[in-house]
Amino acid sequence: MHSAITLRGLPYENLKRKPLRTAALLTIVTILSLTFFGGTMLTMNLNTGMTSTEQRLGADLMVVPQNTAQQAEALLTNGSPSTFYFTTDIADTIKSADGIEQASEQTYISSLAAACCDEKLQIIGFDPASDFVIEPWIASQFDGTLQDGQMIAGANVDVSVDGTIELYGRDWPVVAQLANTGTSLDNSVFINTATVPQMVAVSSKMTKNSAFAKNADKAVSTVLIKVKQGYDAQTVADNIKHLDSRFPDLGYVYPGGITATTKNSLNALISYLAVFVSVIWAMGVIVLLAVFASSVNERKREFASLRIMGATRGMLNAIIVKESIMIGASGGVVGVGLASLMIFPFSSLIGTQLQLPYLQAGPIAIIGCAVVTLVCSTAIGIAGSMLTMWRLSKPEAYLTLREGD
Amino acid sequence: MKNKLFASVPNILLGLLIAVAPQTFAHACIGHDMPGACHYSQQAATGIGVVILALGVVALFVNHQIRIGLNIAAIANALLLLAVPTFLIGVCKGAMMHCRMVMLPTLIVLGVLTMVFAGIAIWLDSRSTARG
Repeated sequence: MHSAITLRGLPYENLKRKPLRTAALLTIVTILSLTFFGGTMLTMNLNTGMTSTEQRLGADLMVVPQNTAQQAEALLTNGSPSTFYFTTDIADTIKSADGIEQASEQTYISSLAAACCDEKLQIIGFDPASDFVIEPWIASQFDGTLQDGQMIAGANVDVSVDGTIELYGRDWPVVAQLANTGTSLDNSVFINTATVPQMVAVSSKMTKNSAFAKNADKAVSTVLIKVKQGYDAQTVADNIKHLDSRFPDLGYVYPGGITATTKNSLNALISYLAVFVSVIWAMGVIVLLAVFASSVNERKREFASLRIMGATRGMLNAIIVKESIMIGASGGVVGVGLASLMIFPFSSLIGTQLQLPYLQAGPIAIIGCAVVTLVCSTAIGIAGSMLTMWRLSKPEAYLTLREGD
Repeated sequence: MKNKLFASVPNILLGLLIAVAPQTFAHACIGHDMPGACHYSQQAATGIGVVILALGVVALFVNHQIRIGLNIAAIANALLLLAVPTFLIGVCKGAMMHCRMVMLPTLIVLGVLTMVFAGIAIWLDSRSTARG
C-alpha cells in the first residue's frame, strides 16, 4: 500500500530522500549545538565555582605557622588536607595588632584514610561565636548550635546511614550536611573549638604524634583577620611582624591575592573557550550556508515542478522552513544530549583536572542553556534556508524548468 | 547491509570499550587492603561488556528479526551496566575517588550510548520487518 505524500509530510520526505545531505546538515548543527551548550555550561560552572570560592574566602589575611603558607593556600583552593599548628598564646598576641577589625582562629587537622575506600578529610575546628568566614555560610544551612563532639559535614563527605562519621576509630555524630561549594570545603568536616582538643587527642594517638598531643588544648592552625577600613592586609601583616621577634617568620596568606590569581586563570580559560566556540560557529555557519547554496541549483527544478502543480511561493517557503526547523531542532537535541553526556557525569573529574573552582550550575540554568542552544541551532538552520528561499524567489517556474533542456 | 552494520558495529565497539575501560583507564580504586564495591562493579562491567560485544558479533550473521532480539538484549545489558555501579553493587562513597570520578561516569556514558544505538538499530530493523 502506498501512502500519498501530502504538503504537510513533504519536508520530512524531502529529508528522507536525500540522506547524505540531511546527515551532513545534521552533523554540522549537532557540532554547533554541542560546542555552544558544552562551552556555555563549562563557563557557567566555572563562574559559579568562582563566586562560591569568593564567598568562602572572606578573610583579608591569614596568619599561619612558619613554612606552612603553601599548605594554607592549598587548603583555600583545592589542595589536599593537612595538619599544622601553632599555639593559642601566639594567636592571642597576633590579635592585639593594630588595624584588625575582626579575628578568629581555626584549627586544621587532616584525617587518616580510615576504613577501606574512604578518603582523607580536612577537619576544621572553628569558633562559631567569632568566626566570620565559615559561620555565615554554615548558618545559612544549619540554624542550630554545634554542640561539643558534634560535626557538620561538607557536601562530599560520606555520612553513614546512622548519621555518623568514623574518624580515628570513633563515630562522630553529624548534625548537618552542607551544600556543594566546588571548593576543598566540600571534603571537610567542621567541629567547634571545644571539640578540637578531643580530636587532637585521638588524632595524635593514632598518628603517634606526641608533640601534637602535648598541645592538644592550645593548638591553632591559623588566625583569620578582617582588617579595619583604611588599612590594607599588607600593612596589618607588617604590624603583626613588629609585635614579636618570632613573628616575621610566620606565614602570611592573602586570600584576596589567591582569588585574584584564580580569577585571572579562570578568565583566561573562559576567553579561550569563547574564542573556540566562536571559531567553530563561524566555520559551521559558513559550511551550512555552502551546503544550502549548493542545494539550491539541485532543487530548482524540484521547486519549479511544485509551482507548476499549484504551490504558491509561500508554500515553498513553508516547506524549506519546516525542513530547516527539523534539522536545526534534531541537531540541537543530539548536540545538547552529547554535551550533557560529556559534562554532567564527568563533573568532578573536570573540576579536578582544571584545578579551578568548578561548581555545577543549578537545574534552571541548565534548562535555560539547553533551550537557548535549541533556539540558536534552529535559528541557524532557518538563516541558512533563507538563502535558498531568496534564490528560489527570483526566477519564474517555467524558465527554471526549461533550464537544461 | 546498512541495517546489519548499524545493528552490530556499535555493539561490537561499545561492548569492547565497556569490557576494556574498567580494566584500563576507567579502573576501580587501587590500593585497597580488601577489594571494595568498585572492584566488583569493575569485574561485572567487564563481563557485561563481553556479552554486548558477543551480541554485536552474532548480529553480523543473522536476519533482521533476530537482530531486533539481539538489540533488545543489548538494551537489557546496558540497563544492567547502569544498575551495577549505581545501586546493585555500587562504587566507593568518596566523591573524589577514582572509581566515582572516572569509572562510574564512563560506564554511564557507554551504557547510555549502547541503549541509544541499540534503539536506533531496532527502529531500522523493525521498519524492514514492517515492509516484509
